[in-house]
Formats: sequence, structure tokens, C-alpha cells
Amino acid sequence: MVRLLPSKERLSKGSRVSAEELAADVAVDAVASEQTAPTDAIIDDDMPESDLVFNVSDLSVYYGDFRAVRDVNMAIRPKEITALIGPSGCGKSTVLRSFNRMNDLIPTARVEGTLLYRGVDLYDERVDPVEVRRRIGMVFQKPNPFPKSIYDNVAYGPRVAGQKKGLDDVVESSLKKAALWDEVKDRLNESAIGMSGGQQQRLSIARAIAGDPEVLLMDEPCSALDPIATARIEELMAELKDEYTILIVTHNMQQAARVSDRTAFYSVEVDEKSDRRTGILVEYTNTEKLFSNPDDERTENYITGRFG
Amino acid sequence: MSQIELRGNFHEELNIVSDTIVTLAAHVTEAIPRATEALINNDLELAQEVISHDDELDLLSLQIEERCYALIALQQPMAIDMRSIVTAMKINGEYERSGDLAVNICKGVRRIYGISLSPTLRGLVTSMGEEAVRLTRVSVDAYAEGSEGLAAALPDMDDRLDDLQADFIQEIFAAHSRGELKLEETVQLALVARFYERIGDHAVNIGDRVMYMVTGESTESAGAARARAAQEGDEAE
Repeated sequence: MVRLLPSKERLSKGSRVSAEELAADVAVDAVASEQTAPTDAIIDDDMPESDLVFNVSDLSVYYGDFRAVRDVNMAIRPKEITALIGPSGCGKSTVLRSFNRMNDLIPTARVEGTLLYRGVDLYDERVDPVEVRRRIGMVFQKPNPFPKSIYDNVAYGPRVAGQKKGLDDVVESSLKKAALWDEVKDRLNESAIGMSGGQQQRLSIARAIAGDPEVLLMDEPCSALDPIATARIEELMAELKDEYTILIVTHNMQQAARVSDRTAFYSVEVDEKSDRRTGILVEYTNTEKLFSNPDDERTENYITGRFG
Repeated sequence: MSQIELRGNFHEELNIVSDTIVTLAAHVTEAIPRATEALINNDLELAQEVISHDDELDLLSLQIEERCYALIALQQPMAIDMRSIVTAMKINGEYERSGDLAVNICKGVRRIYGISLSPTLRGLVTSMGEEAVRLTRVSVDAYAEGSEGLAAALPDMDDRLDDLQADFIQEIFAAHSRGELKLEETVQLALVARFYERIGDHAVNIGDRVMYMVTGESTESAGAARARAAQEGDEAE
């Protein structure tokens, strides 16, 4: 149970506060406020709510009048990999993007419900979305290196944030964590465009890490890669789990089964009258359980290919 | 939402696996009464038929196993599909062993050729044979129907077979002490009783596997439960 709003003092200044600052407030105030946050998120063992990275309650995402996904409840634990799977149009990418407010960039998009990050409502109007995206980094489907040197790609985020000293260290440690350093250390000033697809994707991960995030969101990070490059990224994810909380959207069920600790299966609900399609979260549980003995028949049908 | 079968060929293959298991089980279910008949009637020819026919069961069993390996390697089965394949592989071995036990009974027939069993012993052998067949038949019905209820009935049914075996062994010891059975004959008959009893145990194992297939929960044996409790006790210290 945490307080959702910043302190009165800060409110009166009317200034924007970062999620980090909010989280600091929250830590102080956590004991005092037991009554606010919703508790109906899916928590299937005993982790106290205060230790959760995200707690999503009754989240619905709209694009204009169109409700893309409805009533999502999910608790995300620290230093775990959570996979989001499901057929096209089930809302899994929409949900992933809502975790770092990437949907804000779509003018008609809005959310209902609450999405708490470390106890802070991410969609509180006082939260700075830029700070949110620094804390919660994202890796996209296609590697998207900037047409700059490898070094400048990784240093980009810290530079934008105003960092001038110690960039060499940030670049080196980020590339090491992304398992790319040994391959590129002698050509840091060469263009990133010349790298292979798998290297470019690991560069994208290094770039996300350079901002010192807590969470990495990955939207089908391997769909443009060959099996070997895919295996490298999967290995990398297992290593990154020691430091980061990872959410991954993937179309590859075997990938979800291989890499994740927990899996959320989303599906599409069709309104017969209006033919409107809405994404729903069907089942969210341990990955081993979901792929060996799911509770919901819709999950079973999907993962065994009995419906499409 | 309309159901569209996306992996028709794969699921067709899975059906072939389970059909073949049922065929194997049917052969075993037929072999048991034939072995009993050979035993009671001192029928060496029939005993030999059962022994020879077992080669076909072994081949069937091998084919099931190979098909399962191929499905795992090629199809990455999940959920009920995965549980079905694992169950098929496990119970395939159980039926194959039950078939071997029918063979073992027939080999026992050869070793004790010429003895005549007392009416009491004949009655007990007949009952053991019938119970072994019933257990095997219920196990395959449980599998084919995916029935938790039938699978759950097997341990109790097996208790009856165990009791019959105990009665039979008591009876042959008594016959031996009365001088009606030689020592070698007594030992062979005790082994035969044990073969029937083992057929029942395989049926119970099959029931456990069917439970897993249907519910996703593994049955924990009493021994495994003890070891787990001991391990958890160690960790708590």
C-alpha cells in the first residue's frame, strides 16, 4: 500500500516531479497510508505489494473510442522476465507500451485503471514521461541504430540527460552488459549501421541500459533476427535478469517458454453485434505452469494450436 | 470465436499414438487369459503361442516410442499435447512389461509341465488372471477416455489382486508341506503369482500417468513423500 500522490509541499509548487522522486516520497510515506491502492491485481504468491515493480489494476487502453484492451490485472516482480503472448490484436504490445507511456505519443490514446510503478501511478499528471522512459527502457522489434558511431549510439542517452564526464565508462559497461563489447571494442568509432542485425539489436539493448533503467521492455526483439542471433539475445536476457526487470512481447511461444519466469496470455474478445475486438488478459502465471498445465481452456487451445 | 484447427497433422499424429497404445493394451489384455488358460490346462502349445506373439508387442511398443520421440523433436508439444505424449511414452513401457509378464507366466508353464493343480489353486489362479485382465482393461479405458474416475479406481482394484496373491502363496506353501508340490514347483508357482501381481502394479502406474495427463498433477508415491518431508526437514534445520 503506497501513497499515490506526491507530498503537498510539492503539489503547491506545481512542478513536475520525476518518478524517482515520487518513489522516494513513497518510500517515506509507505507506512502511513494503508488505504489507497487497489489490491485485486493477480499476485499468486506472497510478495508484498511494496516489492512489486509494477502493479496493474483494471487497466484499459483506448485509441479514441476504440477500447484496445480491457481490465488487465498484473503484478510484475523485480528481476524476473515476464512474457506477453497472444494472437495479433490481443493488445499485448499496447499493454507493453503503456508500461513506459509510449502510448502517449499516439494522440488519441488514453488509459483507464491504474498502473503503479514502485507504488507510483505512472499516469499521474505530475509524473514526467521522459523520466519514466529513462527508468523503463525499451527495445523495439527492428534494431534502430542512429546513423552515428557505435560509441555515440550508446552515449546518446546519457548525453541528452546532460552527462559529460565518465561517458567512456558508461559506454564500456553498457556494451559489456549487452555482450557486445568484445566484438566492437576496437571499432567504437565506426558507424553502427555496418553492424549485423543481431549486433544492432544488442546495441539497442546497450543504448537502453546506458540510461541506467530498472526495467527493460522488449517488443518482439528477435523477430527480425536469425536463430543464432536470437539465441544470443535470449542468453543475454538471462544475464540481464540479474540486474533488470524485463517484460517481453513475443510471437514465438517457444521463446516465451525458454526465457521467461512468468507468462501472460492475452486473447481477443469479439463483440458479436458490433464486431468490435478487444484484447483481454486470459491467464497470467508461472511459465512452466502455463505451458504444461494451463488453467484456462482458451490458453490451452492457443498454445496447442487448436484455435487461430 | 470459431475454432480453427491449426495443427491438424500434428494432432492426427497424436491420435495415432494413442490408438496404437490402445492396440498394444488390447494385445496384452488378450495375452493374460491365454497365459492363464495355458497354466491351468498344461497347454504347452498355447504357452508357446503367447511367447512368440510377444515379439509383435515389442515391435508395436518400439514404434510408439519412436513416434513419440519424433513428435517431441519436430512439434514442440505443449500443455495437453505434451502431457499426452509423455503419458504415452510412460505407459507404453508399462504395457510392454505387462506383456512380458504374460510371457513369464507361460515360461513358468513350461517349467512345471505335468503338475496338476488342486481345485483351490486352480480357482485362485483363475481369479488372479481375471483380476489382472480387469485391471489392465480399466487402465486402458481410463487412458482412452481420459477418465480420472477410472484411473482413481485402480489402486483399490489392485488390493484385491494383492490379497489373492497372498492367499495363493499361503496355499502353495501348505500344499508343499503336505507333500503335494515339490520345492521347485512351489517356487515356480510363487513366481507365477508374483507375475500376476506385477501386472496389477503396472495397471496402477498407468492410472497414475493418466491422472497426470488429465490433471497435470503428478502422483507422489509414499516413498517420494517421505523423502520430500525428510529433505524439507533438513532445510528447516
